[in-house]
Order: sequence, then structure tokens, then C-alpha cells
Amino acid sequence: MLFSKHPRTDEFEKAALPHLHDLYRTAARLLGDSTKAEDIVQDVYLQAWKSFDRFEPGTNCRAWLFKILINTMHHFRRKWFNVRTVADSEEVLEQTVASAAPVSEHLTDEEILRALDGLPLDYRAVVLLADVEEFSYKEIAATLHVPIGTVMSRLSRGRKLLREQLSGVARAYGIRPIRQEGA
Amino acid sequence: MNVVQFGESACDKTRRYLDAYLSNELLVETSQEVQRHLETCPQCSAELAARARLRGDVRAAVRRSPVPAGLEARIRQALGARPALRWYGRIAAVLILGVAVFLIWRMRPNSAEETLMREATRRLSAVLNVGMRDHLNCAVFGKYPKQPEPASEMAADLGPQFAGLPPMVQAKMPAGFRIIQGHHCDYHGRQYTHLIAIRNGKLLSVILTRKQPGESVNGISQAGFDRYQIVGFESNDYLGYVVSDLDAQQNLQLAASLASAVRDYLAAHAG
Repeated sequence: MLFSKHPRTDEFEKAALPHLHDLYRTAARLLGDSTKAEDIVQDVYLQAWKSFDRFEPGTNCRAWLFKILINTMHHFRRKWFNVRTVADSEEVLEQTVASAAPVSEHLTDEEILRALDGLPLDYRAVVLLADVEEFSYKEIAATLHVPIGTVMSRLSRGRKLLREQLSGVARAYGIRPIRQEGA
Repeated sequence: MNVVQFGESACDKTRRYLDAYLSNELLVETSQEVQRHLETCPQCSAELAARARLRGDVRAAVRRSPVPAGLEARIRQALGARPALRWYGRIAAVLILGVAVFLIWRMRPNSAEETLMREATRRLSAVLNVGMRDHLNCAVFGKYPKQPEPASEMAADLGPQFAGLPPMVQAKMPAGFRIIQGHHCDYHGRQYTHLIAIRNGKLLSVILTRKQPGESVNGISQAGFDRYQIVGFESNDYLGYVVSDLDAQQNLQLAASLASAVRDYLAAHAG
């Protein structure tokens, strides 16, 4: 036993490695830096491996890994992030138009990602977790350590900001608001 | 006018729910309410479609973004390195364990000594313990020379006050016992004058120490513990002890014959 390979190595790799790409992409989008994203994801896996004994088989390994990712990023946040605070975001929001903004149906991935990367970090995190990773509000609240109401408002505002940013792209394409077309 | 206001209110309400509706996070009743409105409102329906499309586009764009080719391999390697590290760690652990076992083994006599001391302390009266502790600590557990110290060295160790004690004690010893060491020692902060004698593996101590307030052996006291016999006696400011692994009777006889001689010696030299 003393010299045996860790009995749960295979189990860990089988449970955790399938989520590697999702974790990396989320980290890359939140950090805006692929090298740091690689480092942090590797760190997440080592941390997860260390605490895998505390992971209960059958529970949501993916949500557990994302929670470690967010916690790890939070740790490095001040060091790495050029953070735009929510307070700044609120000011931005007050200037935005609540009505539906027309968004082109022919946006490139690059345009979408640029708009996403332009969101304040807190909103970007919720949009990524809800719309890309498809976590429930409850899971996101647990991952980010915020109330569900905060998840809802950040998601709503994040999506709205995203529409605003992409409507700018749409306007550049000469696309007009839907209401005017439908009226 | 009222109809228009109602229509606007229903649209506003629906749009407030639209994000949660899109995430499938609404209660069934609310979801059905939104659904009913969407069926009758092309604008809100178009808004929902636009938001759903954007949501799908964002998801697709993120999921199409590249992941570094070697990332998984590097993580597997990092994870794989851990058992190897742990393997070396285990070797280190075994070595440390071995050293610990060795040290414990080396310390065993000490542990036995402590046990013996504790047991002696429990069984003997406090004043007899004073002598027993020094005998156990210094003569039994300590290292005494196999060959007797030269008389001059012993005299030097004991100093002028007690230099004459070994010959006097030697004269009273049972046949075969020989004083091999005489010194001053201390244990638990107490000073002792200590003579150690041996005979065929039998060990004997004559110990003197200054009385502390309230200490008395009521003339002469005898006690035994394990194979050790102790007799305590008093001489003015001193407590004297004869501790040995002789039998009780022999030890008492020796102590009795030493007591008066020691008293005389102390009266003459250490007043």
C-alpha cells in the first residue's frame, strides 16, 4: 500500500479531464491571456487532484472544477486582472438603451468574442457560466459565491451589454432595429 | 389607449422574464404566461429569437475557440509526476520512520528509566526518593568507569572538604566492594556528594546531600524498591543514603556502620 500508485488517479483523470477544454476556454475568456489561462487550468487540476479525496463520487465534477477555477482566479484576480468594477458597469448600463438592439445574424466568431471580452468581468463570468457552460442559476451562485438574484441581474445586464456591443457591429453593417422592420 | 398600455405592459413584463425564460429558470406558471404572450406578440417573439440566436452564437464562438494542443498532455504529465514524487516521498517517509524507530529504540532505556523513576517516586517516601533518584540517575543509568578512578583524581573531584570520605567509607565496605568513583553531582537542581562502589556487578552508592527545610528521615529509614534497597540517615545538616542492590539486611548493616562514621566525618570536615 505504501508504494502503490494512488488508487484514484485513473478515476480522477476519467472524471476531471473531459472538462479541460471548457475550463481552459472559460479561463482564457476571463483572463484574456492564453498563457495565464494554461497556467491557471493546470493549477486547477493539481488542486483538484490534491483534494479529490474530498470529492464525492456521483456529484457534479464539472461544477466542482469550475468552482476551483473561479476560486483560483479570484486568488489571482488583483494580481492579474485589470478589473472593471461592477460600479463602473452600472454607469455604463444606465447609458444603454433597454429596447431590443438589432444584432446581425452574420457575426463572425471574432466579433462575438471581442464583444464578450469587452464585458465587465463579473458580467462576463456569469454570461460564460450560464450561456456557454449552461450552468443553472443555483450552480452559478454557488460557484461565484453570490446570491441567485445577483446572478440573474448580472446575466440580464451582461446579455444586454453584449447586445449593445454587437448592435454597434450590426449598425456598422447597416442593419436597422427589428421594430422598425416589423412596424 | 388602455389596450396599448396593456400591450406595452405585457411586453415589458415578458422582456423582464425573457432572460430567465431563455435559461429555463422560470417557474412553470410564469413560463406558461410568457409562452402565451409570445404566441400572440411577434415583437417579443422576435426578441426572444434574437436573444436565443445570440446566446447560441456566443456559445458556439467560445466553443470553437482553440485550446492549446499540448495542454492535456502537460496536465497529464503534471498529474503523472505526482505519484512519482509521492513514491520518492514514501521512500523518504520510510527512511524517516526508520530513523524514528531507531531513535525510539535508542531512547528505550531512557523510557524504562523514567518508568522506574516514576515507580520509585510513587513507592518511596519523598525523603528517601532524594537519595534513590541520584543513585538511579547517576550510578545505575549514568556511566561510571569500569576501572576505579585513581585516588588522587577522586580526591580532586571531591575537593578538600570531602576528599577524605572515600577512604573512610571504603574501610566500612563489605568485603569485595571497591569505590570506583567519587564526585559531586546534581539532579533536579539538588547537589549531591556521591561515592559509587561495585562488587561483581553489584552496585552501591553512598550519597550525601544538604538537608532542605523540613526534610528528615526520623533517624534512620529503610525502604526497598525493585532490586534496590535504600537506607536513609541524618547527620546534622546532611541527609545520607546507602543505596545498593544488596539484600535489605546487608544494606541496612552497611548503612548503620557508615552512619556514625559519616556523622563523625561531617562533623569534622563539613560543618
